[in-house]
Amino acid sequence: MALSLAIDGLHAGYGAVKALRGIAIGVESGETVALLGTNGNGKSTLMKCIMGLVRPDSGSITLTIDGAAHDLTRLTTEQIVDLGVALVPEGRRLFPKLTVKENLMLGAFRKTARGAIDRNLALAFETFPVLKEREHQLAGTMSGGQQQMLAIARALMSSPRLLLIDEPSVGLSPLLVSQTIAKIGELKARVGLTVLMAEQNFNQAIRIADRGYIIVHGEIAVAARSVDDLKANDIVKRLYLGGVA
Amino acid sequence: MFSMDLLLGAVVLGVLLGCFYAAVSVGLSVSFGLLDVPHVAHPAFLVLASYGVFLLNDRYDIDPLVAGLLITPLFFVFGLVAYRIYYEIFERRGSDAAVRGIAFFFGIAFIIEVLIILQFGVDQQSVSASYIGKSWRFGEFRIPIRQLVAFAVALGLTGLLAIYLSKTFMGRAIRAVAQDEEALRLMGANPVRIKQFAFGIATAVLGMAGALLIIVAPVEPTLDRAYIGRTFCVVVMAGLGSMTGTLIAAIILGVAETIVLTVFGASWAPAISFGMLLAVLAFRPQGLLGR
Repeated sequence: MALSLAIDGLHAGYGAVKALRGIAIGVESGETVALLGTNGNGKSTLMKCIMGLVRPDSGSITLTIDGAAHDLTRLTTEQIVDLGVALVPEGRRLFPKLTVKENLMLGAFRKTARGAIDRNLALAFETFPVLKEREHQLAGTMSGGQQQMLAIARALMSSPRLLLIDEPSVGLSPLLVSQTIAKIGELKARVGLTVLMAEQNFNQAIRIADRGYIIVHGEIAVAARSVDDLKANDIVKRLYLGGVA
Repeated sequence: MFSMDLLLGAVVLGVLLGCFYAAVSVGLSVSFGLLDVPHVAHPAFLVLASYGVFLLNDRYDIDPLVAGLLITPLFFVFGLVAYRIYYEIFERRGSDAAVRGIAFFFGIAFIIEVLIILQFGVDQQSVSASYIGKSWRFGEFRIPIRQLVAFAVALGLTGLLAIYLSKTFMGRAIRAVAQDEEALRLMGANPVRIKQFAFGIATAVLGMAGALLIIVAPVEPTLDRAYIGRTFCVVVMAGLGSMTGTLIAAIILGVAETIVLTVFGASWAPAISFGMLLAVLAFRPQGLLGR
């Protein structure tokens, strides 16, 4: 099954604030692409545009599945989820007063997702055994790392083919960041996902990324064909490898 | 005079009454507790349902419980329409929706009262059925069968709604929608449609609750006023949106009302619900079971 995401000339913003200014990126079948950039550069807005939560002012977002092109800027979030796109949002955004299991079941809300519930639940529990142990615990009472795992597992419940992950490392200790990133890599290999991951932790992101983009003030500053390309880039050296990384 | 027997009798009747209060409050537990809609017209909708049941019983001699079932789909649609109007006029436009929403629902409550008076007059109305008017006797106790019917149906109704909210996809989405609307959109659910459907459910359960209201005692057009305090007391005491909490809180209110009625007399009873509501808001605003 072939899948690709192509974004071109994308402008978006909230009122007078232009969060995205002419973004062009592409993701091909089976790739893990990192979208790198520090806070406030438009990563989350881009993710929300892909999911149909934010309507762009202009530009195109095209998802091609087995040769059939879908213009995501004209579809509702429900339709985009049905096409096999899921987002693990920044800050996890769980339903804190529902149990772990109930959060997972909500991930399979779409009728198209309900047939595969048993298989996806098994996958979630096998990948994150702690979720099985805490099945009946309220999501809001779990630790940050466990919540991040639940957020990823919940997104997988809709059997996505394209998984968008927004800042999985935010609020986690370095060890947990490392574990979370490793889990994403593991899942990707296992389920055959295509992944677009927004992240500000450069060194962690490139552990599992095939290539990446760097977004600065709503524009793509660097489009690298490989991780080595990224490391060699001047902007990267200055922003990430110079010292503060 | 006051005695242990009298107290025991009051507790038994209070539990029966409390379960009935749960049935008339569960709808509000969804609309106000889970959806944050300031639905002060909930008791007016309840009384309207009672008059629907009265009409079917009076004209066509239909059993009040069957009549309650028959008007349930109508009330579901009524709820869908009412929420849509509330959403388009208030919620959609933003932040002070709650305050203006209260005025809106108070207006609706008065309109319903007036319409009922125009159609049925101000007199009390009641229904007839084989189980109304008879009692069970155990020695000194006398329990009206109508109270037992209301108790059983109320438990069934509350239980069904609790199962619906915890075991179905729509039920879980209804509980999630007030927690994080945007996250729910990411699950592929449309929050406005979920809330509208939930409000339909919250109104639909009033079909049976209205039947119970007129089975337990005769109704009059302004009876809703007595139930504003009771239903809001139960829902707030329950911890907003908890069905088990609603049942427990309703039983507490029922027992308290019955004991006060037995010991101090009927004139004090209406003060109980508002008194408890104020006490809960002051000392335990998250509700008895709230965290």
